[in-house]
Amino acid sequence: MSELGRLSLLLAFACSIFAVGSIAWGLRTGLSGPLRGGRRAVWTVCGLTVLAVIILERALLARDMSYRYVAEHTSRDLPLHYAFTSLWAGQEGSLLLWLLILSAYGSAFLFAYRKRLDPFYDAVAMVIACVMIFFTGLLSFVSSPFRILATPPPDGMGLNPLLQDPGMMIHPPILYTGYVGFVVPFGFAMAVLLLNRSGTRWIEEVRRWTLFCWGFLGVGILLGARWAYIELGWGGYWGWDPVENASLMPWLVGTGFLHSVMIEQRRGMLKTWNITLIALTFLLSMFGTFLTRSGVLTSVHSFAESNIGPWFLGFILIAATAATALILYRKALLESENRMEAVVSREGSFLFNNVLFVALAFATFLGTTFPVLSEAVTGTKISVSAPFFNRVNVPIALTLLLLTGAGPVLSWKRATASVLKRNFILPAFLGLVAALVALPFGATGIYTLVCIFGAAFVVTTIVMEFARGIQARKSAETGALPGQVVRLVEKNKRRYGGYIVHSGMVVLFLGVLGSSVFQKEAHGPLRNGESLKLGPYALTLRGVTDHQKQNASLTTAIVDVQRDGKFLATEHPSKAFYSKSQQPMTEVALHSTPMEDLYLILGGVNEDGSASIQAYINPLVSFVWVGGLIMVLGTLIALSDKMRLRREEKSA
Amino acid sequence: MRLLRAFIALGLVATAMAAFAAPLPAKGKDPAQEITSQLICPCSCGEVVSGCICETGMSMKATVENGIKAGKSKKEIVGALVSQYGEVIRGAPKPEGFNLIVWIAPFAATLLGFTIAWLFLRRLVRRRGERVTAAAHGDVRQETVAFLSGRSLEEDRDSLRARAEAELRQMKQGREA
Repeated sequence: MSELGRLSLLLAFACSIFAVGSIAWGLRTGLSGPLRGGRRAVWTVCGLTVLAVIILERALLARDMSYRYVAEHTSRDLPLHYAFTSLWAGQEGSLLLWLLILSAYGSAFLFAYRKRLDPFYDAVAMVIACVMIFFTGLLSFVSSPFRILATPPPDGMGLNPLLQDPGMMIHPPILYTGYVGFVVPFGFAMAVLLLNRSGTRWIEEVRRWTLFCWGFLGVGILLGARWAYIELGWGGYWGWDPVENASLMPWLVGTGFLHSVMIEQRRGMLKTWNITLIALTFLLSMFGTFLTRSGVLTSVHSFAESNIGPWFLGFILIAATAATALILYRKALLESENRMEAVVSREGSFLFNNVLFVALAFATFLGTTFPVLSEAVTGTKISVSAPFFNRVNVPIALTLLLLTGAGPVLSWKRATASVLKRNFILPAFLGLVAALVALPFGATGIYTLVCIFGAAFVVTTIVMEFARGIQARKSAETGALPGQVVRLVEKNKRRYGGYIVHSGMVVLFLGVLGSSVFQKEAHGPLRNGESLKLGPYALTLRGVTDHQKQNASLTTAIVDVQRDGKFLATEHPSKAFYSKSQQPMTEVALHSTPMEDLYLILGGVNEDGSASIQAYINPLVSFVWVGGLIMVLGTLIALSDKMRLRREEKSA
Repeated sequence: MRLLRAFIALGLVATAMAAFAAPLPAKGKDPAQEITSQLICPCSCGEVVSGCICETGMSMKATVENGIKAGKSKKEIVGALVSQYGEVIRGAPKPEGFNLIVWIAPFAATLLGFTIAWLFLRRLVRRRGERVTAAAHGDVRQETVAFLSGRSLEEDRDSLRARAEAELRQMKQGREA
């Protein structure tokens, strides 16, 4: 079967080359035959990749230890569902998942535009097929998941215990759906440049694809944060780890694009900038995969030894050079159709917001890669971690929060003084009131106050926008307020979906503020009956038990939790020892309420029988998840706007 | 113009905030946690020491707590740990020598981005102003140029209103005549 797997990937490689060549020929000659052939080749790549995935999954589920990949990432005692998700536990499998999603996007794209005869869509498919060549080539010749061991071991090395979590079953595919999807907007942008196309129709289509991928990437990031919170056991959910940063960078630049694309749609401006943002988003998603898979972050030496690192870097450089060359070559096509009327306008605020998004992405990029750069230049190993990013990124993000409030209430073209007064005085006043009210509750730091001010400012501007919308439709609307709000959103899903995303972001910011600035911690060894005090909580150890689960043994502390002297719950923080990896893993005990989480970790059991307990009070963590969900809801609303338009198009 | 200046000031304030950025205020955190939240565990876990429960992390926490009890300053405690484990334990690199790049570049880039965006917007606005001047040649759209040439929004609106009123008067007089 492994030969069939290898063959399917080789054929997929050949089909990708054929697709690119055939479409290029069709575009050059204007013949429809080669274009059709190219389209079919893209479909075929998808089919062959599905076949390769099925073969590898079969081996994983059957624990066929003759496959090197299976032996390295599973074991016979691994639960079946984790054996299935081992597909994305290692490098080769992750790359195969990348290719699967990439080829699915290629096919979905062709299916979505199957009735359009415009060769423009073939050109987009050609760009997607170019990326397919890279991945099929990598999987066929450099990093094959179908390598066979001469002497299969009786059992495998097991799955990394960190990945044995329900969150890890869905987090990578969702994250990759976001990551990989940016290839479609990139394809659109390159096709526009290749075919020298003008017009704005493509920009609406690219906005929809970008919103889709951006939404998935956001959900993926959120799931990753949730997984880190539950599984890693260090008390937080975002550690500015390079892997986290890798996913954040394309999300940030993609967010910038989703704002500036509005200027192009409405005013025909910033075309070069938008195409640059699309290209940058795709390149950063490739760079993210490179960061996590090349070993470059461990050290420059491991990068040199990595079998895929130099290939990835080469591909990114080629793609970046090609995109830059095309943008420069088609400079005339990207000339603005309109001129700016005033700096103080929505266009102006969007441009400044773009600067901040790109600056955040740049700071994250530099911080993530700097240890490697520093080691290469100075020979000294340094760390650039959460303490650095908190100092550098937080003020930029807070400025962005303030602009989030300002942007939507500035009018297009030019904001007059009266509009500014009308829209800004109340939000600024309420922002100040909120900051003043928060002062006695311990909100004293400058960042804290700016965040509270910004949150109140943004929420007020959003409420005002809704109120204005309802007021404007008052003659046409009757009924209760919630119904009016729903109908208002239905009338302009894109706009109000965006506002809902903004309000979700405010809730998320408050969650981050609460859980980072107001976090409390206590730790200590506890003997049976002894208590640890943390804020209003008293944590009393009632005993330690040991038990066995399928592939791990668990040591669990039984901790009674009291709040203000009243019994609240019995929690069970645990430590698991996985038989294969022999790695201790923390199993966090979490007592969640809407306002705060009590987070308990069992550090270990000491020789004298005492249990090392680490406890945190994490205020407002639930706001992070709720804020994320609101952002998802807003994204879905904004996306559904186009669906309505498409239905209308069809019925017309 | 005042609003424009306010926009630029916003950018500058943000950058200044970043440049002098202190670690996030540690409300309710003890002094030991303030120090350990700035350090990285040098073992393979790579966690921030305050949240680390591995052996090395716990030993670093104990060193910090003992140092505080012995009355040592933050600088002394961190210095001792750095000499033991190396620069790699600093969560944020010391701002000196080559490391200055990572501290300065993000703020410089933000400032540069703001400046470029502002100049770009000004150029677009001015270009339109020039176009309008050439086309209008002193006709009714002069006030737009006046706005673009730097008059305040209120002044501009007043001028527009005055012009409109004058034209209405002229029309009225013409009709009466």
